[in-house]
Amino acid sequence: MPASYRHMLEALGPLVVEVDVDGELFSLRGGRRLEVTDGPAGVSGARIASSRAAILDLLDAKLGLDEAVQAGAVSVCGSLDDILRAHDTLLAYVHAAVRAPSHPELLAALRTGPR
Amino acid sequence: MSAVLARSDFIRTPVLATARPDGFKEWYHFVVHRPDSRILINFSLNSEVSTDGRPRLTPRVIVIAHDDQRWTGGIERFEEAELDVSADLGVLTVGGNRMTVRPDGYRVVIDLPGHDIRGELDLTSMSRPFAVNNQPVGDGRVSWLFVPRLRADGWLRIGGQEIRFEGNVAYHDHNWGRFRWGGDFSWTWGAILPSGPDDPWSLVFQQMTDRRRLRCLYQALWVWRHDEPAAIFPPAAVQTRSHGLLGRAADCTLPPPMRLVLGGEASDVPERIEIAATRAGDAVHAEFKPQSYARLAQPSEVCLDRSVVLCESNGSARVTGSINGEDIDFVGDGVFELLHG
Repeated sequence: MPASYRHMLEALGPLVVEVDVDGELFSLRGGRRLEVTDGPAGVSGARIASSRAAILDLLDAKLGLDEAVQAGAVSVCGSLDDILRAHDTLLAYVHAAVRAPSHPELLAALRTGPR
Repeated sequence: MSAVLARSDFIRTPVLATARPDGFKEWYHFVVHRPDSRILINFSLNSEVSTDGRPRLTPRVIVIAHDDQRWTGGIERFEEAELDVSADLGVLTVGGNRMTVRPDGYRVVIDLPGHDIRGELDLTSMSRPFAVNNQPVGDGRVSWLFVPRLRADGWLRIGGQEIRFEGNVAYHDHNWGRFRWGGDFSWTWGAILPSGPDDPWSLVFQQMTDRRRLRCLYQALWVWRHDEPAAIFPPAAVQTRSHGLLGRAADCTLPPPMRLVLGGEASDVPERIEIAATRAGDAVHAEFKPQSYARLAQPSEVCLDRSVVLCESNGSARVTGSINGEDIDFVGDGVFELLHG
């Protein structure tokens, strides 16, 4: 969904986000296109840590994002501005994902494997 | 009665969506009332643009049920290749699910193994259908046909429980047209059926507003007595008021991932909806009190970062009045759909 992709890039802006899922690190940075890089980001504006199980619980609406953060299932570190930008980018990503015909298959792939 | 339904209620998509697919939508909607539960079943077809720019039909099946406590259920999206419409436009097949239009009603088969939902229902019409054509909806138009009262027989397995239907009352509407979710419109659509099986009355209410719900564009109240329409109250004859807020979070949000973008649990499902209609000596006063609701959410087709939420609410209803000199006074159940754009 090209328009949604551009919307997500606008939301991300110059922010670099480091993501840790069950100890697997990767980073996201924007620009003309979204770049996903394995490993630590080095310098990042926001760092998000969670687990596959917590992500699936969020996607299954077993808990809300605010509940997940308060319970420690999702941890977010960074300045307030960077955290807000990361949150807006997440929302833009989810809006794009629910419009994308490819996403049900990606979600099914995420579900396979141990929680 | 036997030929009326088959002549009126056929699947429009193969003709209308092929001719002009942009924004075309069609759905078949059923609500079954049991003393201790409500079941909502919806087959929908939505014309969407694929990544290569070509239109494609996206079918979905929704099944949700409300017991004494809460709404639960599932929604499943299918690929266009899993959709089939019979040549006579009377059978809609979506994966293992099927909706058949019969001369005297409908047969619905549900098979959603990913949600552990299965069932078979026969819905026999107990009232004449009523159709409204080409009503404005935002920038588009929608037509609909509804059957306010049917008899449901069959079974449904959902939430680990099996529900049996034996002569339970049900409601059906079929909608088709071209418009975009998220356009400048909202609606309240409700059906009230009596709790007592021998009570002859059925009511359907509809109100269309702009998206901000500041202007009422259309509203009407239809009343049936047994299988015949008893009164139709046009817009000028109907007064509607909403009171308070239910103040309760949704029982569920479907599909679940949409909860991430809906920004919290606050909703504007009212505490009470009051409908008063008078015309030519007939008068009806209906009061619906929502008890709980499920959110059915989908992406806006107008804004990339907005969603459209349909709140399917169930609750109690009280109806009083007089039509053609006959008094109306019954309590019943209502299922109201609130689309607040």
